[in-house]
Amino acid sequence: MAHPDIGEGIDRVDARVKVSGRAAYPTDHDCPGLAHAVLVQSTVGAGRITAVDSSAAKAAPGVLAVITHENAPELHEARDRKATLPPPPLQSDRIVHHGQTVAVVVAETFEQATEGALLVRTEYAPATPVVDIDDPQAEHVHDPFGSDDGTGDVAAALAAAPVRIEQTYRTAVNTNHPMGPFATVASWDGDELTVHDCTQGPSRTRADLAATLKAPQDTIRVLAPYLGGGFGSGLRTWPHTVLAAVAARHVGRPVKLVLTRKQMFTSVGHRPDTVQRIGLGATRDGRITAIDHEARQTLSMCDVNTEMVSRVSLSGYASPHLSARDVQVRVNVPSPGSMRAPGDGQGNFALECALDELAHDLGMDPLELRLRNYAGEHPVTGQQWSSNDLRECYRVGAEKFGWSRRVPEPRSMRRGRTLVGYGMAGTSFFFYQPPCSARITIGRDGHAVVGSAGMDLGTGTYTVMAQLAAELLALPLRRVRMVMGDSSLPQAPSAGGSGLTGSMGSAIHAASRNLIRSFLDLVRDDSGSPLHGAGEGDVRVQDGRIVRKDGGGGESYEAVLTRHRREELTAEGSAEAPAEDRPVVPTGPYAAKFAEVHVDPDLGVIRVARLVTAAHCGRILNEKTARSQLIGGTVGGIGMALLEETVTEPRTGRIANGTLGDYLVAVNADIPDLDVHFVGGPDPTNPNGTKGCGELGIPGTPAAIANAVFHATGTRVRRLPLTIEDLL
Amino acid sequence: MRSFAYVRATTVDHAVAEVTADPDATYLAGGTTQVDLMKDEVFRPGRLVDITRLPLRDVTSDNGTLVVGALTTMEELAAHEVVAGRLPLVRQALLLGASPQLRHMATLGGNLLQRTRCRYFRDPGVACNKREPGAGCSAVDGFNRMHAVLGTSPACIATHASDVAVALLAVGASVRVRGQDGERVVPLTEFYRVPGSTPHVENVLAHGELITHLEIPLLPPGARSGYLKVRDRASYEFALASVAAALVIDDGRIRAAHLALGGVGTVPWHVPRAEELLRDAAPDAEVFSAAAEAALSGAVAQSGNGFKIELGRRAVVRMLSTLAEES
Repeated sequence: MAHPDIGEGIDRVDARVKVSGRAAYPTDHDCPGLAHAVLVQSTVGAGRITAVDSSAAKAAPGVLAVITHENAPELHEARDRKATLPPPPLQSDRIVHHGQTVAVVVAETFEQATEGALLVRTEYAPATPVVDIDDPQAEHVHDPFGSDDGTGDVAAALAAAPVRIEQTYRTAVNTNHPMGPFATVASWDGDELTVHDCTQGPSRTRADLAATLKAPQDTIRVLAPYLGGGFGSGLRTWPHTVLAAVAARHVGRPVKLVLTRKQMFTSVGHRPDTVQRIGLGATRDGRITAIDHEARQTLSMCDVNTEMVSRVSLSGYASPHLSARDVQVRVNVPSPGSMRAPGDGQGNFALECALDELAHDLGMDPLELRLRNYAGEHPVTGQQWSSNDLRECYRVGAEKFGWSRRVPEPRSMRRGRTLVGYGMAGTSFFFYQPPCSARITIGRDGHAVVGSAGMDLGTGTYTVMAQLAAELLALPLRRVRMVMGDSSLPQAPSAGGSGLTGSMGSAIHAASRNLIRSFLDLVRDDSGSPLHGAGEGDVRVQDGRIVRKDGGGGESYEAVLTRHRREELTAEGSAEAPAEDRPVVPTGPYAAKFAEVHVDPDLGVIRVARLVTAAHCGRILNEKTARSQLIGGTVGGIGMALLEETVTEPRTGRIANGTLGDYLVAVNADIPDLDVHFVGGPDPTNPNGTKGCGELGIPGTPAAIANAVFHATGTRVRRLPLTIEDLL
Repeated sequence: MRSFAYVRATTVDHAVAEVTADPDATYLAGGTTQVDLMKDEVFRPGRLVDITRLPLRDVTSDNGTLVVGALTTMEELAAHEVVAGRLPLVRQALLLGASPQLRHMATLGGNLLQRTRCRYFRDPGVACNKREPGAGCSAVDGFNRMHAVLGTSPACIATHASDVAVALLAVGASVRVRGQDGERVVPLTEFYRVPGSTPHVENVLAHGELITHLEIPLLPPGARSGYLKVRDRASYEFALASVAAALVIDDGRIRAAHLALGGVGTVPWHVPRAEELLRDAAPDAEVFSAAAEAALSGAVAQSGNGFKIELGRRAVVRMLSTLAEES
């Protein structure tokens, strides 16, 4: 029986503490003796530090310490943790990017540390940075993820195809800009370290810090109960977090380190730029016969970044011949990292624009082309999808949008002087559900406390997990309290890859089963209990009680605890990642996106007039937070399509537009009505039937907009962001 | 931000005396640009003379001229009924600038004196002739998509970012300036200085001179006017190109024309030549196109901003034809 609180658009359980200012974000933490650290960052893009003069800084009022590569402690570069732990800071004189941290100044106050940072004199022997993805001198890393794959003979199929599209698409560097600047408060008590950090994964940050500081994990505690947004930038343990811990040890006091907005451009990752070559082959009746996708992306000099761009082409369409290859190009830029829908965001743009070009060449409706090439099974492995309602997404999206009103000919629809364009794109998103643990305690007051180290980066995890626990234990929502964002709680993966709802939900599912079993164990020989002797399969939960399915009665959790003189009962539960090599492949979410754009024919100004998304995200735990996820992602997708570009100067490696006044994110006026519809049913992979929906707003959005711009203007722009000069 | 002295001025004379006497002093009004620049170490004034308590916030209408106290905020002026009725281009330029929060803080005097958004000017880590005379210009071979195409020099291509200054320039506004030696009135057409070889000198004010009022001539009844702002983002963003224009059309002829451009010049860009072309002409596509050509005459493209020349022309044509189409 469905729980009354599931599925509905209920308000966030943490809304009240947030809007009343009682939710403590990492920057809010204060403690006696707190000192403040400010970073000094490189003003050259490559080379070596030849001298650091920190004498003036050290002499400045309030300055406690200046830590540079000359006096920093040795930090361990953990090879097995490179994916989440970038190269440790201040370990040598080598500069690999502009804005690299070269010193940290610790002072009594933030202002004094800021002034001290201005007084650190660093001299460099600069080298010429390599920053361009097309630079022939740049080192190429082929198949960096071991994910290059395919089937059939793409080259032959392309050569033989009656209709071919061969084009190159480009996407720009985008920088994650959560509203809250990233910050760390670190304090040592002997050899025990406590860190309040802007992280999307307290368990992971703890492991990374343990590795780089060579400390046992159980001496470190990482807390992130609230975060001012992340968009993926909290998925790695960045140098500033490590340096806050280093600085705190160095001065023997707790240290707070808050990045400036400008430092955010070089310190917490970015979405790498890409150049993608797509080859599509098709029959004249629109059957795709070959998809060839090669994606180049930039990577910083000494780091790794897992960002599979071309893989979208391996699962998108039912083509007999497929090839997808990724290449990373090493350049002198800051460490990249995940930014909402990493890889898929860029890869989908190229694939879905190429599909639109093919549809145009064929004289076929872009939606019809996609339906005709729907992949009924995994095109490479032949596995069945665990669930795939993409065709329902197309149908519902098209209907809600009014796609049938589209006049096929480009530049044929107008409203007054304004050109009107309709464009669409489909998308999937990869499946990801890493292992997770959770713990549930029910007390004699009949309240449950559910704990897991996983955190809520603002998406609603507190809320949906509380709803889920309430359902699984048949408790009213108000009797469930979530405790999250603390590495001392049962291990959890980071809030990333759209995976945490699936992971933590599965762990809570397992924990609730174990907890019910513990209750049954307690009453096994209790003849006073109607449940005595019952096995797990003999009972269900209902109205705050465990009851026998056979109608033999039941009793409440608190009744059992009271009679057995127990204050509480606790159980843990864990969930493993589902195997992907079975006949049925665990399948992520799907969406179809339909965009209407308005383009000024003279001035080239593009505005998105409306955007309809129909999404298959499995079972929806909370319509309100799920819709917010899709809407928020779509806003990011509009920014990616029309506004966001981090520009690096070729000569210097300096970011040329490193402020929020110059790097444009969408504002309210750029965002039209965003219509989101959920379709399709639960996914059987996950015990709760969910699929992730955190990143699905991004992929498909830029392509739908670019395709709509083509429809409006007849001009095909194969580069993001699309801006005014492209249409003049 | 460095430490500085703070003085709250009690009278205009007191303010002028405080700043004039100290070469390291400057005025503080709304602070919306200045405090940012201090945080970024671009400005390092030793003394800030706070003029926000001075009685310079009145707006009065006098014999066809609106006299605006320099401390009037952008929002206050935009909401003024005379501005709404007789100076639509000024109102539109105000409301298309900045954000509501900033417009409630920023003053008109400060707006006219706002510093460029050039990222090279605003980053003390790179060379900039405007910030440090003789240091060189990093924008010329840097990222210059937002930079100027008119009034540039090899020393500086930074764009003047004000919207309302463009509208005020178009209608022939002046500023009333108080210095130690008394008061003078400077038309905006003579107020701004193109960079030439001295980009750090942006206007004709001497150190210590204070803008106390703006004098804005009202457009005649029946004039059509507007401000067109073209930008990447729909709000809260500087212009790639903007046009302030006013036309008086009578009996099929343009009797009076006002035209100035923003977003394309190192200073708000007045184009008397285009106004001459328009005057007494029939309001048709041909003359609008000629005016647009004249408006962008002499434009110089940099590596990233060549599109602004054509965009500027098209914006002029659009603005003028929109006004002509108004009934």
